[in-house]
Amino acid sequence: MPSDNVMVIGGGPAGLEAARLLADIGTKVTLVEQRDFLGGTPIAENYAALTHGFHSAEEMMGAMVARVANNPLVDVRLGSTVTASQGEAGDFRVTLASGGASEVVEAGAVILATGFQHFDPGRETQMYGYYEYADVITLADAEAMLKKNSFLKPSNGQVPERVCFIQCVGSRDRQIGNEYCSKVCCGISSKQAIEVRQLSPTTKVFIFYIDMRMYGYWENEIYWPAQEKHHVQYVKGIITEIIKKGDRLLIRGEDTTMGRPMEVPMDVVVLAVGMEASQGTRQMAQLFGVSQNKYKFIDVPHSALDPVATSVPGIYVAGAAAGPKDLDDTIGMAGTAAIKAAGLLRRLVMA
Amino acid sequence: MGLFADKYPEVPFEEKSRLWEEVKADARFPDYLYGCYECGICVAACPSARFYDFSPRKIAQAAAREDIELIYEQMNDDVWNCSQCFSCNRCPRQNSPGGLITILREVAVNNGLRSAKQALEGYSRIVYKIMGTGTQVSPDMLQPDAFPDWGPQVRRVSEELDLWRRALPPETLHTTKTGWQVDDKTLIELYLIWYTTGVMDMIANVDEGLNLILSDVMEEVLEDAGYEI
Repeated sequence: MPSDNVMVIGGGPAGLEAARLLADIGTKVTLVEQRDFLGGTPIAENYAALTHGFHSAEEMMGAMVARVANNPLVDVRLGSTVTASQGEAGDFRVTLASGGASEVVEAGAVILATGFQHFDPGRETQMYGYYEYADVITLADAEAMLKKNSFLKPSNGQVPERVCFIQCVGSRDRQIGNEYCSKVCCGISSKQAIEVRQLSPTTKVFIFYIDMRMYGYWENEIYWPAQEKHHVQYVKGIITEIIKKGDRLLIRGEDTTMGRPMEVPMDVVVLAVGMEASQGTRQMAQLFGVSQNKYKFIDVPHSALDPVATSVPGIYVAGAAAGPKDLDDTIGMAGTAAIKAAGLLRRLVMA
Repeated sequence: MGLFADKYPEVPFEEKSRLWEEVKADARFPDYLYGCYECGICVAACPSARFYDFSPRKIAQAAAREDIELIYEQMNDDVWNCSQCFSCNRCPRQNSPGGLITILREVAVNNGLRSAKQALEGYSRIVYKIMGTGTQVSPDMLQPDAFPDWGPQVRRVSEELDLWRRALPPETLHTTKTGWQVDDKTLIELYLIWYTTGVMDMIANVDEGLNLILSDVMEEVLEDAGYEI
């Protein structure tokens, strides 16, 4: 007899949405989260406003959590990790460990929603001094400040005169091995640039980029207002290195469209770090035996027309576990994964 | 402080800043500049960019970035290379680099920038001609010393000017001192427009001598027509 339960691994946006939708159509769900709270990276990494629509991340995630937290069909397992899996589609037996105890839970299908982690800009090929200079921060560090409605120079707590963002840190780089575009950093940097300008209208904000990838409505909703209304300065050219000069940071690069080299003092430099496969994504891929691509994200063999099927029948993937995603795509994938998992169970039960 | 080395360090930043504020205060400015993709469609369309070291894209970029030093540099060196044909208006962001240049030039002229005087030196003949006769160019301006960029054939043409002129259709009225005949009433209306819109002050800023000569001519015509200047 096949199991009538779906296991969703990961309590971030993708996992929460998949769990809610499965419950909505009457399917039982075990939602497994290794952290002690639901909400995933937007909550764990202190996101302020979500890039699309500028809504508070805490409020939006809170609403998603509320839809599953007291749902009788969703069995939420916080502080739990998956340690083993046996069986096949319709009949997986998954071992969950929590606080020293372990338990085997049956599931007819599994949805991996284990997400991404931010690129660590301290890697040796990066010349940006992230671990040396207090005023060199990442998008995530900036989010944490913006969540408190403040954007100050970390080294002295003063309002910065000049702030810049450096795009594609840890993305689109053969030297690092991450050849892909992380998709959301252009939008997030532009969003943060707008927020910095709103908090401090005297602060000049620059974005140094390779290409601005503001697809769809991000163009007119984020990019154009950043430039036209908030006077954020976009300069095509990537910074080669950051040098400490007095209590400021000297950035060096080329303004490619003006055809001139630049050496400019900045007060805060924000590194637009990209996405990498999270530890959880790497571990679950190995544990469930699903193929990973060369970047360790979960491989989706037919990504265009079947974006949620992994190499193993009965195991689906949703969100950034399958590679860089924005929230729109993540939520869309969660819905597709939920209906595919529920459909599989129904087919097996009817058979 | 801009991103690059300042080409005019002897001019105080406050002065450059004041000129830029004057540009931004122009009522046309918000319609001429939104944001710049730096895509270069304006440069591709620009006839001047094919012959001079000139880029309408850089004009829009510097303005969008509010790079005060670079804008001052452009106001002195670049804006005079534009032919004001507005081919650059095909911008996908609906910017008008040519329109920005119009404003930059006007501010340069109104503030008597040296570059404005130099750039307009060769045009004193045209200014004199249009204000004296109401026509912009006339056959007798085809002189070898007038506009070197008109080429060497100008000498040959200038020698038989009257004959060339008679070979043209009668609508040109066969005059060599004016391009065509201008009615006195038209001329008076033009004078009034120039006086009331501040054109005479602009000319005074770039060429005081020319302004004096023109004022004499025009005031006499206007007074004869019953206007108080």
